[in-house]
Amino acid sequence: MQSDLAVSASGLIKRFGERRVVDGVDIAVPQGMIYGVLGPNGAGKTTTLRMLLGIIEPDGGTRRVLGNERPREVSDQVGYLPEERGLYPGMKTVQAIAFMGALRGLDWKTGRKRGAELMEAAGLGHAVDQKIRKLSKGMAQLVQLLGSIVHQPDLLVLDEPFSGLDPVNQERLEKLILAERDRGATVLFSTHVMAHAERLCDRLTIIAGGKVRFEGTVADARATLPFKAHYVPHFPDDGLPALLPADAARDGDGWRFTLPDEGIEALLVKLIDAGYGISGLSIERPSLHDVFVRIVGHKALEAADVEALGEAAA
Amino acid sequence: MSNLARVTRQTFTIARRDFVATVFTPTFLLFLLAPLLMIAFGTVGGIGAASISKGGGDKLRLVIVAEGDRARALAAADARLRRIYRERERPPPLVTERAGPDAARQARAMFDAKDREVSAVLYGPLEKPQILYSPSGGRSADYLAELAEQVLRVEKTGAVTALSEPTRVAVARTGVSAGGQTQAAFFAVFGLFMVSLMLAGQAVGTMAEERSNKVIEILAAAVPLESVLFGKLLGMFGVALLFLTFWGTVVFNVGALLPVQVSGRLDELVPAVGLPMFVLLFFGYFVMAYMLLGAVFLGIGAQASTQRELQMLSLPITIFQVAMFGFASGAAASPDSWVATAAELFPFSSPFAMAARAANSPELWRHGLALAWQALWVVITVSIAARLFRRGVLQSGSPKLRLRKRPAEPAIDNTVS
Repeated sequence: MQSDLAVSASGLIKRFGERRVVDGVDIAVPQGMIYGVLGPNGAGKTTTLRMLLGIIEPDGGTRRVLGNERPREVSDQVGYLPEERGLYPGMKTVQAIAFMGALRGLDWKTGRKRGAELMEAAGLGHAVDQKIRKLSKGMAQLVQLLGSIVHQPDLLVLDEPFSGLDPVNQERLEKLILAERDRGATVLFSTHVMAHAERLCDRLTIIAGGKVRFEGTVADARATLPFKAHYVPHFPDDGLPALLPADAARDGDGWRFTLPDEGIEALLVKLIDAGYGISGLSIERPSLHDVFVRIVGHKALEAADVEALGEAAA
Repeated sequence: MSNLARVTRQTFTIARRDFVATVFTPTFLLFLLAPLLMIAFGTVGGIGAASISKGGGDKLRLVIVAEGDRARALAAADARLRRIYRERERPPPLVTERAGPDAARQARAMFDAKDREVSAVLYGPLEKPQILYSPSGGRSADYLAELAEQVLRVEKTGAVTALSEPTRVAVARTGVSAGGQTQAAFFAVFGLFMVSLMLAGQAVGTMAEERSNKVIEILAAAVPLESVLFGKLLGMFGVALLFLTFWGTVVFNVGALLPVQVSGRLDELVPAVGLPMFVLLFFGYFVMAYMLLGAVFLGIGAQASTQRELQMLSLPITIFQVAMFGFASGAAASPDSWVATAAELFPFSSPFAMAARAANSPELWRHGLALAWQALWVVITVSIAARLFRRGVLQSGSPKLRLRKRPAEPAIDNTVS
């Protein structure tokens, strides 16, 4: 284990009944980074985060949080936003934030003062004295996030923080996460929405079926797939596919194919010489979504979704 | 910060939240005044029952069929004897009737009168009087017989004034009476039972709030579950203390206004360890009874997923409390029996039985041991409750202690994601 890691785990295992929902997960989160845990529904993300925080105990493996093998002993330096949001509806917002800070060692007075400041900064200053039950779902979610950072934690763990938020609140949340990293905190969050991960994550891991399928930066992830070209001929006819790479497939008026190793120039010369001309050409960098789908696989995604739906129904 | 300091701080944070959330609500006022409502309803019920009883009693009469000097002598004897009775125990008023030609028939006819209800009738010579009485008038018949006896005695001795001239001196007891101790023991058990019934039972539903609001994962991530449970117990205990302080003050001030006859009788209820020590021990045992029963109820209540389940749990919980009360009452009645020893040792009846022991026996060393024993069981009960809660709600912990593989409705959604 390296000392510059905020969170590390090796071979984490968790069984529910006979099923291994987390199956030997390794994770290494460097300090001061935004780290994403990506995966489809039912991949084991939440269970992994709960084991890292000490909410549930692993059946196997080791973990280290902020240099301590017992996560509970550093709970005052950790902030946590669970997937299932929960606040006391009868509490005023600023009291709710102060209460969450008090649970993590912040005195009530400072908690109330910081809570009011954080709400003001997040554009919720008008709701400081409102009761939680009067807030919209999105506002309540932001209040809960403010409660998880009011004690200025060294590690912030967010489980699906963007779910249920409208675009305006999603943007507020992204700014808050970036501000936490700029303050020096390490942010570890789970999501299955690739756009957020792509914008925010310094590093990420992709989990599927309880196992780690990828670990690295967003750029590393993209590099696992070649660039794609989208070519639209000026004079199309049936002989065109014979000149294109083997993986070429129709896409609207044009064709999409993997960029050849030797580059696109030679292919373009051939196409022009053959009289097809060029009506349009774009070179596309693979997205995180493409990487995610390739790693997880369509069938695995569907299977995970069906399984998660079944569990939720049970 | 040391682990103990952190856990203590977290426990008090939970306690503070629960205390504030309970006390600063309009419903708390209703809870605080609940005994007043109980007293009010009891008074209204009592007045109703008394008026029904009085309505029947007002028409009751004793009748003597006599004339002249005998009639006057019987009335005078009645006036003398009647003074001995308390008002509510006095015989029905005495009515004198003139004798008709057939006294026996006249006497029988009186029981069918519509304007009054005759309890007993005396007629005939006083040396051999005939006394008729209704099915519930046996004591009235005895009273009329005694009147006849008194009149004849006065006639034989010729004394109209009292022959005996007693000197009455009121004496206050300097020692503790055995009867007073037993009564004090019973009052201690009953008092403890009532306050724990009213207050500890509140703990049953407190975890339901966290489960329904989904706050439990926030708490579980920040605080050990033992601290959550103990904090909740402390918070509710604070509410209980506020309740007791309020009503203790009220009762103390009302007690000062009681008539001397009533307060004099209360003075006989002196516990064996002395009143100041008894008050201290009573408070100590109240704390333990509250914590023990509260921890059990909190643990049981934490397993309930819905309000319906909570309601279903309230009956066995009340039965359990009543059983502890019965057990400890047995100990209070016979402090040297095996029942008393068993009740003092069994953790959940121990506070009640030991409060009775404080009233019955002057030894103090037992109480130190008992309080330590009960405190140990508070810790054990809270730990077990936390374990059960962790298993039932968080699906985590030692597999050996697993009670069920899948709860019907876990408070923390364990859908894997």
